[in-house]
Amino acid sequence: MSELDTNNSIMQSSLHYLKGQYSGTAPANAELGLTVTEASHGCYLNLRGDANNADFAAGIQTVLGLSLPTVSGTYHSDGSTMACWLGPDEWMLVSDQTAETLQTALRDALTGHISIVDVTGGQTQLNLRGSSVPLVLKKSGGYDFEAWSVDDAPTRRCVQTNFAKATALVSSNADGSFDLTIRRSFADYIAQWLLDAGKEHGCLIQG
Amino acid sequence: MSQINRLPTCGRTDPSQTIKFIFNGKTYQGVAGDTLASALLANGVNVVGRSFKYSRPRGIVGHGMEEPNGIIQLGSGAATVPNLKVTQVELYEGLEASSVNGWPNVNFDLMGIIGLFGRLMPPGFYYKTFMYPQKLWMTYEHFIRKAAGLGKTPVEADPDTYEKINQHCDVLVVGAGPAGLVAALEAGLSGARVIIADEQSEFGGSLLASNELIDGSSASDWVTSINSQLESLSNVQRLRRSTVFGYYDHNFLTILERRTDHLGLKAVSGPRQCMHRVRAKQVVLATGAFERPLVFAHNDIPGVMQASSVSTYINRFGVAPGRKLVLATNNDNAYRTALDWHRAGRDVVAVVDSRSSPSGELVELVRGLGIQIFDGCGVIEAKGSKRVRSALVAPLNSEGTKVVGAVQSLACDLIASSGGWSAVIHLSSHTGAKPVWDEKIVSFRPGESKQQERSAGACKGTFGLSDGLLEGATAGAEAAQRAGFGDGVVQRPLPAVDEVVEQPQQTLFLVPHTKPTSRAPSQFVDFQLDVSAAGIELAVLEGFESVEHVKRYTALGFGTDQGKLGNINGMAILANALGQSISATGTTIFRPSYTPTTFGAIAGRDIKDLFDPERYTAAHRWHVEQGAAFEDVGQWKRPWYFPQGNETMHQAVNRECLAVRNSVGILDASTLGKIDIQGPDAAEFITRMYTNSYLKLAPGKCRYGVMLKEDGMIFDDGVCACLADNHYLMFTTTGGAAGVLAWLELWQQTEWPELHVYFTSVTDHWATATVTGPNARKVVAKVCSDIDLSADNFGFMDWRNGTVAGVSARVFRISFTGELSYEINVSANYGRHVWEKLIEAGAEFDITPYGTESMHVLRAEKGFIIVGQDTDGSMTPADMNMDWVVGKNKAFSFIGKRSLQRSDSVRENRKQLVGLKTLNPTSVLPEGSQIVNDPTQAIPMAMQGHVTSSYYSANMGYSIALAVVKGGLNRMGDTVHCPAADGSVIAAEIVSSVFYDPKGERQNV
Repeated sequence: MSELDTNNSIMQSSLHYLKGQYSGTAPANAELGLTVTEASHGCYLNLRGDANNADFAAGIQTVLGLSLPTVSGTYHSDGSTMACWLGPDEWMLVSDQTAETLQTALRDALTGHISIVDVTGGQTQLNLRGSSVPLVLKKSGGYDFEAWSVDDAPTRRCVQTNFAKATALVSSNADGSFDLTIRRSFADYIAQWLLDAGKEHGCLIQG
Repeated sequence: MSQINRLPTCGRTDPSQTIKFIFNGKTYQGVAGDTLASALLANGVNVVGRSFKYSRPRGIVGHGMEEPNGIIQLGSGAATVPNLKVTQVELYEGLEASSVNGWPNVNFDLMGIIGLFGRLMPPGFYYKTFMYPQKLWMTYEHFIRKAAGLGKTPVEADPDTYEKINQHCDVLVVGAGPAGLVAALEAGLSGARVIIADEQSEFGGSLLASNELIDGSSASDWVTSINSQLESLSNVQRLRRSTVFGYYDHNFLTILERRTDHLGLKAVSGPRQCMHRVRAKQVVLATGAFERPLVFAHNDIPGVMQASSVSTYINRFGVAPGRKLVLATNNDNAYRTALDWHRAGRDVVAVVDSRSSPSGELVELVRGLGIQIFDGCGVIEAKGSKRVRSALVAPLNSEGTKVVGAVQSLACDLIASSGGWSAVIHLSSHTGAKPVWDEKIVSFRPGESKQQERSAGACKGTFGLSDGLLEGATAGAEAAQRAGFGDGVVQRPLPAVDEVVEQPQQTLFLVPHTKPTSRAPSQFVDFQLDVSAAGIELAVLEGFESVEHVKRYTALGFGTDQGKLGNINGMAILANALGQSISATGTTIFRPSYTPTTFGAIAGRDIKDLFDPERYTAAHRWHVEQGAAFEDVGQWKRPWYFPQGNETMHQAVNRECLAVRNSVGILDASTLGKIDIQGPDAAEFITRMYTNSYLKLAPGKCRYGVMLKEDGMIFDDGVCACLADNHYLMFTTTGGAAGVLAWLELWQQTEWPELHVYFTSVTDHWATATVTGPNARKVVAKVCSDIDLSADNFGFMDWRNGTVAGVSARVFRISFTGELSYEINVSANYGRHVWEKLIEAGAEFDITPYGTESMHVLRAEKGFIIVGQDTDGSMTPADMNMDWVVGKNKAFSFIGKRSLQRSDSVRENRKQLVGLKTLNPTSVLPEGSQIVNDPTQAIPMAMQGHVTSSYYSANMGYSIALAVVKGGLNRMGDTVHCPAADGSVIAAEIVSSVFYDPKGERQNV
């Protein structure tokens, strides 16, 4: 990825064409049950490696300032970088740095059998906020997100699961909102689904 | 007609709020809290429908979902709803309903007068008719359908919305009668997540119509108090008007919640119904029991009702459905109905009890009121036509099998009957638990639990109130404990109930008549489908023994009520006819749905645009703006062709194909599957997956490969590029992407874990624009300055990193058209920008966007195969004339290699890929056409193969096709024939599968 400003007019995020759309009541008229905000992170990297390799773990810690989560269904975050557990040897890194910067730093720090893949163009993250979030999550998939509600540790929960008829990496935030990390090609479908599922109490895709 | 049967006591209704409604065209008045059934009974409406087969007038029998007769059509137009039960429809202002049966109407029924359909349709009618004479079936069917009715399907789209919600809970309590309520309270107090669901409009179950005292206060006060306790628990979710209709594996249950049905025909706002898909750790079933009617002659005349239903109408709805009651019973419990009737100020003509000298507490109470009790007697027949006029009563022998004395007639307009109670074991039965017949309570009980569930109260055969409360509370506490909450000990003291002592009931189902069953007036078992006791006995005479067979032969339990009232009686009559016990006869298996469920709720919001995800590429909106027609490729929407002006598809495709060969075209190829592969063993791994070798593929180079399954048959194909040492990018077909990634992971994880290699899907990350045609280099050169595009430095099957239109890009010189091609890959965030810059740059060369159809034509001109179109899972590389892609000297085997040596894989005369050139250059062969040598051969002709791809080629100026033909590679120049279904035949010559530029000079420049 060249050093392009992500606010550059030539960039189109996954939800580019859906921003400002709403369902149910007009956004100005009432408090919305669901507000969807697309994040503008610097990059999404898919990382694979051996978590039991001390050098690998230490290298990651040095570059990210975070340890990799090794417990299934959890993520570590410091506000600017998020590391989500995807599998025993696979993580999703979401960072405010550019893909090039972070990838270079990781490659410099890590040796041996690893894989770092830039998937920035293929991923996006939607923040879901509002009183209808629990209901919308229940409409959208069979995972028991209610069971997460008591978890307030710095290690928070995430899961890759069905979302309507697509898939999503769903994670919970300390402020009670949820993030969906989804694939670009399904973004339109998921946004339309959210507008539909959030219609009862109003849903806005923030512009 | 005013509400002649409305009582001054109003039960749970609110007489101050009157509601107008229309039934069969007539306007009536009911009150708030009424069901349509209670309102109709209040207005003295006797006939609510006609029976399915004999078209006999029928009245309301029950008060809930067991009702067999009151089947109505609600409303008209788009939102009309067929086959609802009057007992379940809550009254609302302006409600409009009509009977589903009866032609021309229920009170003047032509079918009834003709009265011949019953004779035409004995048990097993369908089977007998299907067998012989077959030709008459169409005639019969026409009349059966006309006569049968059972509702009109709405002709317009459903205007309502429906919802689906996934729920999780620790304890799901099914039923909010006394046992369910205390179970939910106990589970809720433990802190468990609880859902309690009940199909009625309010919680309380049988207590809503009970006169019993609980803790010294009325049952309804107790229900109110326990309801408010449940409401105060935030961990308890209460679902009213919610039927748990299915119990599936792994404690997965489905609930249909009717949210707005009670408000009007069309949902005012929000979804009409919601299906809850519940995963429960533990389940408490508290589904209660149905009263079982006694079967006697002409027991279907309007005015014959369930005893408990009569009590319910009095106590809950303030309606007494008649004037003069005769109560027929074999048990003490039903005497409550006589007491209720008496309390309502109406005349109890007599109680007819099949037992001799009954003397239970309730019996004595009735006797004390001076009501006449005929003991040792049965109501053997009802008299009347559209309403009961009298009951024929006769003494029975002590077994209840024979009339042993003189028959007398009692004038009455209502016969309430009770044959005891049947536990509602349906949900337990859904889990596979085999019901157990219990002689003592004359009912089935739920079988041994197959899942994490337990039954409590009447549905377990525990019919007394205090026992039911104890069982419910215990079940709730135990379920919570099993789910990890509480210590399993009941927390709240159980309420005190003054239980009356009941004497045993008599086991009696069919009340004998003076005539044998076969000669007696019809004794109905299943009202909705007119199955009589005689019909069941006839089935036995005809040799049917299994309850499952008899059910299907007679249609017992096949109606929309699913035989809720009739099944047990039917089985008992069958057992008797077979001379065996009920437990030996067994019951049919209950399956979901417990009650009819709307398709809308099952579909939820997965409809219309949301029925299946539509996947878009980064440039999708550009294609839409250009007026592209789209083709579904898997879930992707790909541009099919880009019509200009009034162009037809054919014209557009011809123009696009010519543009590519003569100047330059551009294709959105973003949907191709892309897998990033890294690791020291990547080359070795890839070499094992493809038929050819990648061990020597250098960075900057690409290679085409074919993947086989273990059987040696082609499964996917594509190009693999070496990005750097130990780093590769694999392209797959659009449809094969997910399958190939899973295939790679499977082999790495299960077979070759020693190979160090990782795979990551990058399909969504890259947006791909393919610029192809003789002018492609000139176009790319205008937007890319940091790659040397010269043929010497960037040749065919090379790739380079660089910058295109200011965006970092990977450019591949791979070609699916056979022309000079650049596949430009950029991060999808910049996909549309780069696409538009390429269009701009190509303007001077008239760059032409083309879709999948032209892509197909162009590659067919080159004889390039499409996996899944030219192959079908039974084609080897050799069959595709692609032996060159199979590495013969690879050190390690590759998947499918051994199968290529199977005798069948190497036999002569396998179907092989060839080209077909139609003798008439403008005739385009239909894809899939069968190929024969001699079109005049008698059928069955000897098939030689089939056409896999076929197009008109504007570049060649004639029609071209790819086909697989037996031994085709040795048949060049032969003429073959493709007969069509319409009798026409297209003749074609077998030619090479490469029509255009056979030496491949155009792509290698």
